[in-house]
Amino acid sequence: MEKKAKSTEQEIELAHLISVKQGLDGSEAFWEQKQDSLAARLKAGERAAAAELVDIYYKQIYWFMRRLGHNSDVSEDLTQESFLHAWHRISQLRDGKALNSWLYRIAANVSKLHWRRNKGREVAGIEGFDEIDSTEADSVKVVYDEQLEQLKNALARLPIKLKQAVVLHYMQHLSIAEAAEAAGVRQGTFKSRMSRALKTLRKQVI
Amino acid sequence: MKEEKLEKMLNELADATAQPVRNGLAEDIKHRIPHRLIPHRGGLDTINIIVDLRISRLAAAAAIILTIVLCANFFGEKDSADGNIFHNSMLLIRHLSGREDAASNGILVGRSKYEHLLERGERVEWYGSSIDPQDSNAILMHWQLSNGKYGVLFVDGREAEVNPERLIELMTHMLQKKAK
Repeated sequence: MEKKAKSTEQEIELAHLISVKQGLDGSEAFWEQKQDSLAARLKAGERAAAAELVDIYYKQIYWFMRRLGHNSDVSEDLTQESFLHAWHRISQLRDGKALNSWLYRIAANVSKLHWRRNKGREVAGIEGFDEIDSTEADSVKVVYDEQLEQLKNALARLPIKLKQAVVLHYMQHLSIAEAAEAAGVRQGTFKSRMSRALKTLRKQVI
Repeated sequence: MKEEKLEKMLNELADATAQPVRNGLAEDIKHRIPHRLIPHRGGLDTINIIVDLRISRLAAAAAIILTIVLCANFFGEKDSADGNIFHNSMLLIRHLSGREDAASNGILVGRSKYEHLLERGERVEWYGSSIDPQDSNAILMHWQLSNGKYGVLFVDGREAEVNPERLIELMTHMLQKKAK
């Protein structure tokens, strides 16, 4: 029962994210326009725009932190810290198109600094998630769940840079260009990191 | 495992990890929005980068001071090699101030160079306190170079490398002019 409620909540959140991303009329142009206007208002120092940025991105940044392997409390702290850093780096924001990568880059750096600060004190791992509900039929569900579990563990064991690449592109759904910018590397380097990461994951998931 | 399957599984893992977020988180973040969003400040950003490395603030301050000292030494080396930086600063002084002030400012800048060379243990002589600032050929100081020649700094900021005979000539000329 509880599982079903959680699943419904996730679906609602996913739908909310999609509706935000696509804009009310569902057009990509509307979204871009909204992003441009938000970026301009942020650069003008408008507090309401900052609050809007929080509304749009706080969940994504929190999930990003969780997917990078921070526990829930730390992820909350790092999400807050990311936005604090963002307020101080508004002038580095170019335009609306760069909003995604700008914020993710700040968040990625905040996460990296946290790992550096707590080297050896905190175990990196995507822990704490409940049983994953796969969409496969019951007959193959057990095997598939096992594979997902293996994948989760393999992802947690990846070196930070490789893990970041996979999370940004496959889990946060950033385009290659956006994700590369968020990681602070050229697209070629980013692709090479992803390819190395996928190769490692493929080897570890039977 | 095929790439498509791996991608599908990663997507599924992404959905599974999109857990509900604490309700108050957004409000907590919004409460911390500064009243005035801070514009970009280059200098402070540099300090922030060092502080961001999470070394202590004291260590950050030490790092900044060390950087300044290293830069000063580096420029000092360059300065003695071809005098570019010193010469450029003299041009800047001349540009920013009037010509008369430029001579006395030039003496001040020359003095700092003298002190720098002295600290480095160079054999340097200072004449800045007894020269006529209006005489563009007046020698502010000279110092011995490793090749047996002398480096000479004139009051107008020119720098030259001369042999001992030429140095004597210049000194004589300067003293004669002063005697008149």
